Parts: sequence; C-alpha cells; structure tokens
Amino acid sequence: MLGTLGKILISASFLAALLSSLLFFFAAYRDDSTYLKAGNWLFGLKASLLIIASGILVFLIFEHQFQYYYVFNYTSMDLDPKYLWSAFYGGQEGSFMLWIIFSSFFGFGLMKWTRNPYKGPVLFFLALTQVFLLSMVLGWDVGLFKLGASPFRTLAEAMPNAPILQSNPDFIPQDGQGLNDLLKSPWMMIHPPILFVGFSMMTIPFCFAMAALWKQKYNEWVGPALPWTLGANVAMLTAIFLGGYWAYVTLSFGGFWAWDPVENASLVPWLFGTAGIHTMIIQRKSSIAQKSSILFAILAYMAVVYETFLTRSGVLSDSSVHSFVDLGLYNQLLAFMLVISGVGLGMFFWRYKELPSPKKESKILSREFMTFAGAIFLLLLGLVIILGTSSPIIGTLFAERPTPPEISFYNDWSMPIVMIMALLTVIGQFLFWKKHDAESLASALINPLLVTSVLTITSVIFGDVRNLYYMVYLFTGFFAVVGNGWIVIRLAKQKPMLIGGALTHVGFGVLLIGILASSAYNSPLLDAETKNFNAAVERGEVKDEQGFTVSQKVNILQFNLNEPLILNDEYVVTYVGYSLEDQNRPGQQTYKLKFEPLDGGAPFYLNPEVYPMLSSSTADNIQWAVDPDVKTGWLSDIYLYVSGSSYVDQRNKQIERRKKQEMQNVAAPDTAASEEEDNIPEQQTIEFGIGQTVEVGGFKIRFVNYTQADSLSLPSNTTIGVRAEVELMHPASGQIHTLEPLFAVYTDEGKSYIYSPPVSIPKYGLSFQFTKINPQENNIELTILGLQEEYEEEWIVVTAEKKPFISVVWAGTFLLMIGFSVSIFRHWGRERKKNA
Amino acid sequence: MKPKLILGIIAIVGFTSLLMYNFGESISTYTTFDVAAEHGSAHVPGTWDNTKEYGFSKESRQFTFYMKDEAGNSRKVVYPKAKPNNFEQADRLVVIGEMKGNIFYADEMLMKCPSKYNDANPGEFTKASES
Repeated sequence: MLGTLGKILISASFLAALLSSLLFFFAAYRDDSTYLKAGNWLFGLKASLLIIASGILVFLIFEHQFQYYYVFNYTSMDLDPKYLWSAFYGGQEGSFMLWIIFSSFFGFGLMKWTRNPYKGPVLFFLALTQVFLLSMVLGWDVGLFKLGASPFRTLAEAMPNAPILQSNPDFIPQDGQGLNDLLKSPWMMIHPPILFVGFSMMTIPFCFAMAALWKQKYNEWVGPALPWTLGANVAMLTAIFLGGYWAYVTLSFGGFWAWDPVENASLVPWLFGTAGIHTMIIQRKSSIAQKSSILFAILAYMAVVYETFLTRSGVLSDSSVHSFVDLGLYNQLLAFMLVISGVGLGMFFWRYKELPSPKKESKILSREFMTFAGAIFLLLLGLVIILGTSSPIIGTLFAERPTPPEISFYNDWSMPIVMIMALLTVIGQFLFWKKHDAESLASALINPLLVTSVLTITSVIFGDVRNLYYMVYLFTGFFAVVGNGWIVIRLAKQKPMLIGGALTHVGFGVLLIGILASSAYNSPLLDAETKNFNAAVERGEVKDEQGFTVSQKVNILQFNLNEPLILNDEYVVTYVGYSLEDQNRPGQQTYKLKFEPLDGGAPFYLNPEVYPMLSSSTADNIQWAVDPDVKTGWLSDIYLYVSGSSYVDQRNKQIERRKKQEMQNVAAPDTAASEEEDNIPEQQTIEFGIGQTVEVGGFKIRFVNYTQADSLSLPSNTTIGVRAEVELMHPASGQIHTLEPLFAVYTDEGKSYIYSPPVSIPKYGLSFQFTKINPQENNIELTILGLQEEYEEEWIVVTAEKKPFISVVWAGTFLLMIGFSVSIFRHWGRERKKNA
Repeated sequence: MKPKLILGIIAIVGFTSLLMYNFGESISTYTTFDVAAEHGSAHVPGTWDNTKEYGFSKESRQFTFYMKDEAGNSRKVVYPKAKPNNFEQADRLVVIGEMKGNIFYADEMLMKCPSKYNDANPGEFTKASES
C-alpha cells in the first residue's frame, strides 16, 4: 500500500522534474520570467514529492516492513536506530534519492541567488540532471526494458525466481539481511551524505558553464560558480578523508589509500574540480582562461557521472573490493554519461571558435601561467588515474582479460606529477601576490629554499632516508610547506581573508610528506626470530621442502596464550586472551594484546576483533570479518589485526564436520541410522569429587558442591533428586559459567530409571549431563558432549604494523579543508555583496 | 605552424605514448598455471581443490592449498599469510604471484564469497588479507 504510494510519488516527482526542465528551457530560450516562475514551482513540487517518498521509505525501514526488498536487503530487526537511518542511503536506490534531495536544496539556492542571464539555463541544466537521476529510481516497466529500479519493489518483484516466493508469493520474511557489518561505523554514516553534497555542488559549476556557453557570456559566470566549486571541493575532500579513515580503521589492507577503483573514482572529480578552481581564479583576476574554466567545469561533472557509472553499473565488480551490484541500470547510467558528455563537450566545441582567446601569450613567470600549469598537472594526474581505473575497459587493448594495473603504475606516475606540482605551488604563489622577473623571484626564494634544505637534510639524516628519489620528493614537499607558509605568514599580517590559497598549498605539501613518510616507512612489528628468518630469506639462504629458494618474507606473528614476544626491541607483547560477545554480534571475539614498552612507558592494550558478518553468514557458512585496532600516536600509529585464531579454526572445522555429516546422511539415508553411532559427537566422561578441578579440552571444570533440586523440576515418583553445582571456566577468555545439571532416579511400574537432562552451552557447543553418583568414591560422573578431540593450545596469528606519521597525512588533509573553506568565505562574501 | 604548437604536440604525444606503454606493461591478463609458468607475475583464477590436503603451517607460517585453474589443472599454492578466515566458503579464487616449478607462490589472493541469498547478490571479490 505505502509502497504503491511511494512509487506513485516518485513517478510524479519524475514528471514534475521533466516538466520543470522543459519550462526552464523555454524560460532560457525566450528570456521569459513567467516560464521561470512556473518552472520554480514544479522544481519545488518535484523536491517535495521526493522528500515525501523518502519519508515513506524511512518509515518502512523503521517499521521493518520486510516485504519490501530494500528494507529486507539492507536492514534487520536488531539494527541500531542510527543505522536504520543510514540504511536509507545504504543501497543504490536510496543514495540516488539522497543525491536528488541535496541537489534540490541547492537548486532553491540557485533560484534565489543566480543572476540573469544565467538563471534560466542554469536551472534548466540542473533540472535535466534531476530527470536523469530520478529515472534511476522509477521502476517503470516500459515493455522492452525496465526504467530504473524502485526502492519500493516488493520481494516478489525483486526476486521472482526465489523458490520460496514462487510457492508463496505473499511470503514475508521474519527478519531482513541486515546492513553490511563493515558499514556499521559512524564514519560510514556520514560519509555518503557528505559525498552527495559534494556531487550535488559539483553539478552547479557544470550548469553555469553550460549557461555561459548558451548565453555566450563567458566571463561573469565564474563569480558565482567559484564558491560552489570550492564548496563541492571541501565536501568531496571531507568525504574522501572519511572514506580513507574508515578504510584505515575498519578494513585490513592497512592503509588509508589502496588505489581501489572506487577510491580513485572519488578522487578524479576532485582533481578536475580543483583544476577548475585554479583556472576560474585566474579568469576572474585577469579575464583569461575562459576556455579552460568551462572545460574543467564540464570535465569535473563528467567525472562525477563517470564515477557513478563505474561504481554502480557493475563493471568493476571483479576488480573492486567495494562496488555496488548491478541493478540493471547499466544502460541508463551509460545514457546519462553519454548525454552529459555529449551535451557538455558538444556545446563546448560548438562555441569553441567564438570563445575568447588571450590577446597575448602569458609570460612563463606570471601568475597566470603558473596557475594554469597547476591546473594542467591536476588534469594530467586525473587522466592517469582514470586510465588506471578504466582497466576493465581500456585494458582490453592490451590483454584479453585485463587485470587491474599494478599499484606501482599509480605510484610511478603520480609521484613525479605531484613533485612538479609542489614546486609550481611555491613559484605560483610568489608570483600571484607580486610581479617578479627571474632574478627577483630567485632572490625572494633564497630564504625559503635555505629553510627547505635544512629541513630536508635534517629529515634525511634522522629518517635514515637512503633513496635519492625520496630525498628529492621530500625536498619538494618541504618546499611547498615552507614557500607557501612564507606567503601565509606574510598575508596573515596584512589581509588574513586572502590566505586560503596559500594555506591550501601548505596543506598539499604536508600531505605529500605525510604520504611518503607513512607509506615508505611503514614497517611490520616482528620478533627477533622472524627478523632473522627474513634476513636469511633476503640473503637467499632459505629453502623450502621442494628445494626452492624461499623469496617471500614472513610478516605475520603467532602468539600463544600468555607467551610474550619482544617486537622490534620496543615492546613486550603478550596475548592475554579473548572474550566472546553474546549480545550485539554473537560470536564476536575481542582479543586482548598487552603492549609493554621496553623503555618503561605505560603499558597499553590493543583489542582487535574478529566477528561473523551477520548480513552474509548462515549457520553453515560463516563469513568472518576482522576489525583492526589502531593505537594512535602523534608520531606513529600501531596497527594490528588478528588474521587467524584457534577459535575461528575450530568453529570452521566444526562446520565442516557438520556439513560432511549432513551430506552423508542425505547421500545414504538408509545407512544413516547405522552410521549414526560413529557420528555421535565426541563424548567424554569425567569423575571428580567436591572441590576438585579437572582440565579437559581447554576448559577447567570444578565441582563446587551438591545443591538441592527443586521438586517441580523432578519427575513424579522420584527417589533421588540432586543437582551438582559445576563451574566451567574458559581460560582464554577468563569467563566462568555456573551450571547445575540434574541427576534423578525415579520409579515407574516398579522399575528404576535415571533422569539426567543435558544442560547445553551453545557458545562453546558443549552439553553436560550429570550421569552418575559414586557413593563409594564420593564423587560424581559428568558426561560432556562436543569437546574437541584434539585440543589445541590457544593461539592467534597477528599482523602488526608500525605506521609512522599517519597523523601528518590527516594534518595535511585538514589544512587543505581549512584553506578551501577560507576561500569559500572570501569568494562567497564577495558574491553576496554583488547580490545585495 | 608555430614552433610552440609543434613542441606542445610532441609533448602530448610523448606523454601519452609513454603512459599507454607503461599502462599496458602494468596490466596482466587472467591466465592459467601453465601459461603463468612461462611468465613472471600472473593472476590465476580458479577454485579450491578440496580433495587435497591444505592448511596453515605454524612452523613456516605459510598457508598451502591446491587450486584448480580454469584449464582444470590443480597446482599447489603457497600463500605467506594466515589462512583467510573465509577460505572454505570462497567459490572463486584469484591468486596473484609467480610460478616456480610446480608451485605457485601467491603474494596476494582475492576471494569471491557467495552471499546468503543467491538471487540477491552475486557476491564480490575481497582481498584475502581483508577477511
């Protein structure tokens, strides 16, 4: 019912968007404000309808209406309310809706602030993007193909082939699949909205550029477009940062950046947008670079759409760790991309001849040339990344079934580009604020160069840098920090509102240094024995069983319970046990590793986790996920995760055993009964007296005392009824369970029977029966089912890394954000005055 | 033509061809063990051969198993990390590394795990070290 309403609302919203874009088109075409007014109303109607539809979706999520596929697929009964909110944009359909809602709000801003003659065409192009985005969530069946995927699909519509739905079309599951556990993170709650704010804002410079081409007014548009582009930039940078930070603390690839296609796809629009900011700034100052400003504004939005295509069409599903699944939107997304590129570039080349060209060429040592060069290098970097990311498509030129490029491809190309950029930032900033010729520039740069050299040499010595390339890289990074810092200090004294640009460039330099320091000096934490082994591998002295020389170093550690290892001569590390979670995530193990610094610092603990992914696990198929723990420090982080443990090993073996049994039973049902005896789970009996403790199968079991049995729990005609209070201790987790199994003897028709119901502990897969009392020996017999035959010592395999200067990476990112934000205030303030 | 324009074109052509050459070099193709034996680094997709023994050796700290490539050949694979937690569940593997003799030394391994509901989600690859 509500679902049908939702579908109708989305369809109505789509039609309103279509109509509003038509009206805006006529408003722009005929310069008629009545059309504009009607268009505004319809645009508002479109937004309201979609917001109501989103409200319904959120309502359905909170009401756990699992007959809807979206609700079923992304939520579950036990999901925390805050994650129910984020489930709204956890899937493709909802995230499109969120994107449209943000775009609508910015559309209202554009209605208010945009001046003529841009108003009509800007709103037309914005409405056009809305038409495309809304078509993705329509769910219309247009005969030959489906238009969009509706978030209000029912299960039966979404999975027509599921057997359970074929036999019972009205089937409503009791519980949903739940949100992917990796996404249950506060960082992942705010990452998508911020990203979509960025995407929505990045649409606006595109609209302005198209309006400029339409109305042949090539200069004035950069004024209002610049603050929007800056805003988009800050939002996208924040989103990229959040994504990187999330990856660092929840995934185990051990870093903030892995050149994954999804990450790359978020970086490219940012790079193109940043290139656009550069050319817009010189266009505003010097009335040149109109062509490139327009082109970058178009390219940045094209990159946004291309990213959307790559991540949502399923083309990357083989090469990316985290991309969306194809919802059948491939053709629609492709059409969106082709239309945006076709219209954008088509308009650009159509007007190309009449676009203003510079009367005379800029000198190399001018702020115009340097800023422009910066933009070109940003473009190049973006193109290199696009090339690498498009390997499933472009790679077919080189190989039949292309793999993604090696990581070194990205590193080898981006490093020299950013090094040149770092040098350009300083020269550009010095020229930006004062005219220089070669000689005066050189003399202005002497002091910054001196400071840079001192810093570089110091860090080369203290950081034990041996690689010449790294030394040069460090030099360029420090040069960017010092040179731009020089400008920041000078400007801060005179006109503090203008420091945005220089501050951003300082941030860029800091980021470069941080990236090198954190990745090149990232080292595993190892004990002496492993280090010796690795040294032997390096010398080529280690042979394996087949006689081949071992070339792979070992970067993992094995800890046995309470057996400390000394790592890097810095820490004594002890695995002191783990605890099992029963509540939120049953089966989650939280491991406890104690770090005692050898230099006498305060000891600390790291608590990495391993847990079954609830959203994708079943009893027969547990998918384990690891959650690293990071000890953050100013100078270096310690990063650690458990990649294997005796607990997980045993759980997996149990499952394998159970599966094998089931297979046998299915394969030979007749013999199943006879084989059953062999398949009885391991059974062990222990005998002990009061106060005694027995160690068995990794547990300590103590017989505390007899306790009285409640007569209600006993069968009738009971002659003996007694309980044994038994303490079961699991040494690795330190948990103690008290059990009171019952032993009773009752008579029925003159015969005596023993009644000893099993007491089970599902967590360990054990069950206890109090099976005998031996009055002579004054002890009792317990029968335990489910103990491991071959009990292993508790062990964990750990990957631990020391990550120096990650904090510098974050600091650089924050400086970039602050710098861009300062610029927003400056440029926005100026635009406001114009509007007033 | 202006000399600057010619210089620009040369720079663009030079940059592009170098970039494309390097890109082509850094891409390899998904292949089989037999082909991998003739090359250096290779990506070999396949499935776990669960008829043969497998396991993590605590002594050598390596995980070894047999994998059947797409041509149906089963080869021993050595992976210098802990056994990925979801290894048994993976229905497709991609090992990245090189062949030495009859053994494939994987530096990296990707796993594709089936999802709970086959209809809903075809599953995706994850790096073995991430699970």
